[in-house]
Amino acid sequence: MDSNEPMLLLSSRIGQIGDLGLDLLWRFLHIVVSLFHIVSGIFEAIQSYAISLGLIQKYSSVDIEKLRCLAVVLDIEVARDVAKVVELLQWLKTIGVKQVGLFDSQGLLKKSKDMILEMVPGSTLLQETGEKDISPDRKEGIAIEFISSSDNKEAVVKAANILLKRHLKTSHPEKDEGNNVFTESHLNEALRVVGENVHVPDLMLVYGPVRSHLGFPAWRLRYTEIVHMGSLKYMRYGSLLKAIHKFTGVRQNYGV
Amino acid sequence: MREHVGKSSKLFNGFTSIMRRFIFKVLCVGPIPNHISFIMDGNRRFAKKHNLQGPDAGHRAGFVSVTYVLQYCQEIGVPYVTLYAFGIDNFKREPEEVKCMMDLMLEKIELTIDQAISGNLKDLKVIFAGDLNLLNERLKVAAQSLMELTEQNRGLVAVVIVAYSTSHEIVQAIRESCVRKCVDGDSPLVLEMSDVEECMYTSIVPDPDLVIRSGGIDRLSNFMTWQSSRSLLHTTAALWPELGLWHLVWAILKFQRMHDYLQKKKKQKLD
Repeated sequence: MDSNEPMLLLSSRIGQIGDLGLDLLWRFLHIVVSLFHIVSGIFEAIQSYAISLGLIQKYSSVDIEKLRCLAVVLDIEVARDVAKVVELLQWLKTIGVKQVGLFDSQGLLKKSKDMILEMVPGSTLLQETGEKDISPDRKEGIAIEFISSSDNKEAVVKAANILLKRHLKTSHPEKDEGNNVFTESHLNEALRVVGENVHVPDLMLVYGPVRSHLGFPAWRLRYTEIVHMGSLKYMRYGSLLKAIHKFTGVRQNYGV
Repeated sequence: MREHVGKSSKLFNGFTSIMRRFIFKVLCVGPIPNHISFIMDGNRRFAKKHNLQGPDAGHRAGFVSVTYVLQYCQEIGVPYVTLYAFGIDNFKREPEEVKCMMDLMLEKIELTIDQAISGNLKDLKVIFAGDLNLLNERLKVAAQSLMELTEQNRGLVAVVIVAYSTSHEIVQAIRESCVRKCVDGDSPLVLEMSDVEECMYTSIVPDPDLVIRSGGIDRLSNFMTWQSSRSLLHTTAALWPELGLWHLVWAILKFQRMHDYLQKKKKQKLD
């Protein structure tokens, strides 16, 4: 027994040194990754300033007609900075974006919507009006929609309950498979009844630490291009223009 | 000469295996995603890029990637992996291509069944999720057999998503939950979120922590948009058959960098 103890102690020490070595290697790996991100961030910033100054010809014109509906997802920490949100909306209006959905999971922007609409000249609240209602004064302005997590799963469940009520009206609901009630178009219609916009954004810009849609309405997110823009605090006009320009060059197959 | 080449090749493979395991050991010092989803895009472009002949050539190359990715995830210790193999929109492709893809899936499932029977699957559990009624009978039966054969395995859970789209999943989940409500006379006739979610095709796995899309495309293409509210979405320019060890390691390193933030988001009031 006694002769085993030094061996056990030694192997334990070796194990600890091994773990420490792995830990150091892991930290070193992450330092290298962070350096990579810093360097690529610097290059992106330089490119962005060059685009803002009009030095890169490619970005001087953007076919904005291709972008019918834009979504902007904001982390709740950045959504509190209303001044920055207003600045972003003004940039979007300058670029020619006509319709934007602002999303934050907690609905902070919804609470500030009156202030935001007042601070962005020519902005209107987007209603669920469909494609036909384009009044002349709206052509120059920007229509803003305010979205939160309550418009995601909760809204789908409310719409599901509408479909359930319709299904119950069939003569034998427990036997009926519901082929006339449960279709994508019926769900679309039910979502409109509960006050939801069902238009699918073409492009989504995510302002926050990570590329994640943070609970944007799943029903609307199907074919949306999702671009991570980084921090709202350090947002750059050139990066915004680049993201929109890149989108206009995208070709979708829709799985075909 | 051949023997010499064979020995060198074995040595090299042994060396790369040791190196790979060492890299994974370092990676595992940090948090590992509980569930990684893969959108396997780029097979057709790969075939075009390399002038491969045949409508399923790219997809065959893609299957090789699947085996490597599953092996790597198993070695790293990722508990759940989801593979988006075939979407409902893909049925709109040329009939010949769709048939080729279905035949290829059947071939690979039957191959995997043989491996399961001979005990070569290393405790892998395979589940097929999606609207399996849209598949042909033979494929459906084969998928069912593979699921039954691997049901008791307790290793990596590989969920193969076929005949799927989020919009279809949501509608079918609503339909199923409504029908269940009607049949169950005891509970009140009001749907809760849990009623809908438990009827979803992907209710068998937790929400993904990391969604990796190959092929350089920046969208989810109607894949798990309901389940990915708190997921890190990662796109790699590599086409699916080109996806390798370093692409996976890079994605996991990115996940580790953002882990604290993603955990914070999960703890906040969810949708």
